[in-house]
Amino acid sequence: MSRIGVFVCHCGENISRTVDVEQVAKAAGEIPGVAFSCDYKYMCSDPGQTLLKKAVAEHKLDGVLVAACSPRMHEKTFRKAAEAAGLNPYLCEMANIREHCSWVHEDRDMATAKAKDIVKLMVERVRKGKSLAPITVPVTKRALVIGGGIAGIQAALDIADAGHRVVLVEREPSIGGHMAQLSETFPTLDCSQCIMTPKMVDVANHPNITLFTYSEIEKVDGYIGNFQVTVKHKARSVDESKCTGCGICMTKCPKKKIPNEFDQGHGMRPAIYVPFPQAVPNTPVIDRENCTMFQSGKCGVCAKVCGPGAVDYEQQDTFTVEDVGAIVVATGFKLYTIDRKPEGSPIQGYGEFGYGTIPDIIDGMTFERLASASGPTGGKILRPSDGKEPKQVVFIQCVGSRAREKGISYCSKVCCMYTAKHTMLYHHKVHDGQAYVFFMDARTPGKGYDEFWRRAVEEEEAVYIRGMVSRMYQRGDKIVVMGSDIQVGVQVEIEADLVVLATAVQPQDGADLLAQKLGISYDKYNFYSEAHAKLKPVECATAGIYLAGACQGPKDIPDTVSQASAAAAKVMTLFAKDKLERDPVVAKVNEKYCVGCFACKKVCAYGAIEEKEIRDRQGNLVKKVAYVNPGVCGGCGTCQATCPSKSIELDGYTDEQIMAMIEAL
Amino acid sequence: MKNKLMHLSNETMNIGFVKKVEALSGSSVRRCFQCGKCSAGCPMSTFMEHPPNRVVRLLQLGQGQRILAGRSIWYCASCETCTTRCPNKVDLAAIMDALRKLSWDADGPSKESYVQLANRLFIENIRTYGRQYELRLGAAFNMKSGQFLKDLMLGPKLISKGKLKMFHSKNKNIAEIEGIFKRIEEMRKKGEAL
Repeated sequence: MSRIGVFVCHCGENISRTVDVEQVAKAAGEIPGVAFSCDYKYMCSDPGQTLLKKAVAEHKLDGVLVAACSPRMHEKTFRKAAEAAGLNPYLCEMANIREHCSWVHEDRDMATAKAKDIVKLMVERVRKGKSLAPITVPVTKRALVIGGGIAGIQAALDIADAGHRVVLVEREPSIGGHMAQLSETFPTLDCSQCIMTPKMVDVANHPNITLFTYSEIEKVDGYIGNFQVTVKHKARSVDESKCTGCGICMTKCPKKKIPNEFDQGHGMRPAIYVPFPQAVPNTPVIDRENCTMFQSGKCGVCAKVCGPGAVDYEQQDTFTVEDVGAIVVATGFKLYTIDRKPEGSPIQGYGEFGYGTIPDIIDGMTFERLASASGPTGGKILRPSDGKEPKQVVFIQCVGSRAREKGISYCSKVCCMYTAKHTMLYHHKVHDGQAYVFFMDARTPGKGYDEFWRRAVEEEEAVYIRGMVSRMYQRGDKIVVMGSDIQVGVQVEIEADLVVLATAVQPQDGADLLAQKLGISYDKYNFYSEAHAKLKPVECATAGIYLAGACQGPKDIPDTVSQASAAAAKVMTLFAKDKLERDPVVAKVNEKYCVGCFACKKVCAYGAIEEKEIRDRQGNLVKKVAYVNPGVCGGCGTCQATCPSKSIELDGYTDEQIMAMIEAL
Repeated sequence: MKNKLMHLSNETMNIGFVKKVEALSGSSVRRCFQCGKCSAGCPMSTFMEHPPNRVVRLLQLGQGQRILAGRSIWYCASCETCTTRCPNKVDLAAIMDALRKLSWDADGPSKESYVQLANRLFIENIRTYGRQYELRLGAAFNMKSGQFLKDLMLGPKLISKGKLKMFHSKNKNIAEIEGIFKRIEEMRKKGEAL
């Protein structure tokens, strides 16, 4: 006869409001094999846990059931308490009478009856439970960071400074990301390049960091502590080991009129180029689509002028496999493109703003480049169409963001602040100019942020107009902006010289494809999902993969840097131990009955099932059976449900347990 | 005027006027972030076409003429509830005061602003007699505002109680009072006074 203890939690009033917890505890005490039952206001609190521990010792309990919230919330808490009381932690289970009962029902009697049933069947599961020992797996103390923006750079530097090796992979020819494009940063107005480039140089010089630029993630195998990542090194057409970064190839390249992506297409670059002068590494790449040599086979100027002979037109893409123990994903964001409706995307464009037809309607990042000392205008605010200095500039917030009809319902978080910054930069550079801002709300929750915005309004004379713009059109060389001031309740018309749109922050292109390679989840916008919005904001649900920066959701620089350091800390925690303990809730194959059909292998989402050969003493092959790698198994139970010969069982969820639970009802 | 399309540009925004209001009232106009607390507590708000917060908003947009064309500033009772409760230290009562002062010289003050007419006649009486002559004030107000019979029946009552004098009594130092008016006029010409 088993001796099970049942502890019913009130969860403050969360459960006791709709469920008569005393009755549930009393009914549980009458189930055969239950040696002890009680109810308590907060089981997860310290006195609650002490109650559990004491009861285990006093009543010599051999199994514990806590009827409270979801096991996702507190299973670990109570298993730890049971373990401290000398019980195998896997003999402690939870009955969810909060999310599955009290929160979703109103009728007290019926909810109480349901709670009793839930407890009854979970008691059966505890009764049939087995002691399990945690699985240990080795940890490769080397981390992979995907993305070389400020998030990736910060995470890589932190992990490397802790003494672990890091591989940093960046898709573009240089690290730096969007932050390198910015002119000045809020709320202090310090120069972005000045605080960014030293960190980029640190990455390049750090002995623990291996930097792969112009590279992409091809394939990810393995599991926490033991990933094998295939990295594709795109052909640069320049030998990195030979190139000295003198730049003569760029000055001699005859094809110089290619719009520079780094300047949002407003400056020009040659076909062999580095994205910007402070690029790390300072090794050019050849843009093969625009290079005369690659398109017509005639030119070769760069190879002729290159002293060390680094230009290599024959270079091919190469692949390397990196063994790493943890992965930090920091792929960042892109801006919603107002001028083009993305193909095959549910996101709608802004026809009413004359997108793509009016050259002097630009996005925020383009304004950053215009205001940047390293930008196409050398830091002068000049409008794209005729190079004149605009005297009336209209800024429009929430373009794309918070527009459900256009396909995006979230707030892009950074636009309020950077628009305030733009008005200041404009006021500093064009003294007789006037900046207008159309906005719905000013969202400035950050240290020194609201003060910054108020400074733009009160001291830097930006005219903020609460209300949105309905339409824009060209009249002569002006753009007519038709908006409204909802505070006054009138229509407003402004003839602007330049319009700057604070367009929405979106995940990078291909974010979904990378997520599929990594096996991490993402939301409908392709932002990566964290394991828990509040308590696990850095971890992915997939063990060993962490998130940093705007790939998880719109973020400003301070938040991004904080999250990157947090992700690095998580990686260091993982690397602090030589072996990793994993939850032993994994599938096991009964090799006696397995017929080797490998239906399980087809359905396994984790790639945990391998083929195992069974040989006799003479070494003759008897049969092939399935083998579950416990380090990889996610414990989902799909294989158990699929197996036609019923020879796979998931520990903690055995057929025997499930059947006993059904019978108890 | 109230709902007329608003064109915004450096020419249409009268920032000079706003600067005058700020100087006169000693309160920032830009500081207001339009929370609406002033209008929420204003006892006269329901009578105004531009409630107090909108008066500030119009100033922020350099639209002083829209305020002066309306009657809001004349309905303000100067109770200072707005100033007392403003979370952002905008002295709205002082701004209202400043607007009333500035309305004296502004183009096209409201035709409805009998308050201004009354104020003007009041001051003229002081200048002429050196003190107030209520009967003349009342008569002139009724004539100029076109409401000939307004409060006529109150006259005999007030006279019988000695509150309204039939004949004026001139101040002895009328020349000195004229001197004060002259000096203010000169100062106004020089721009030293409003």
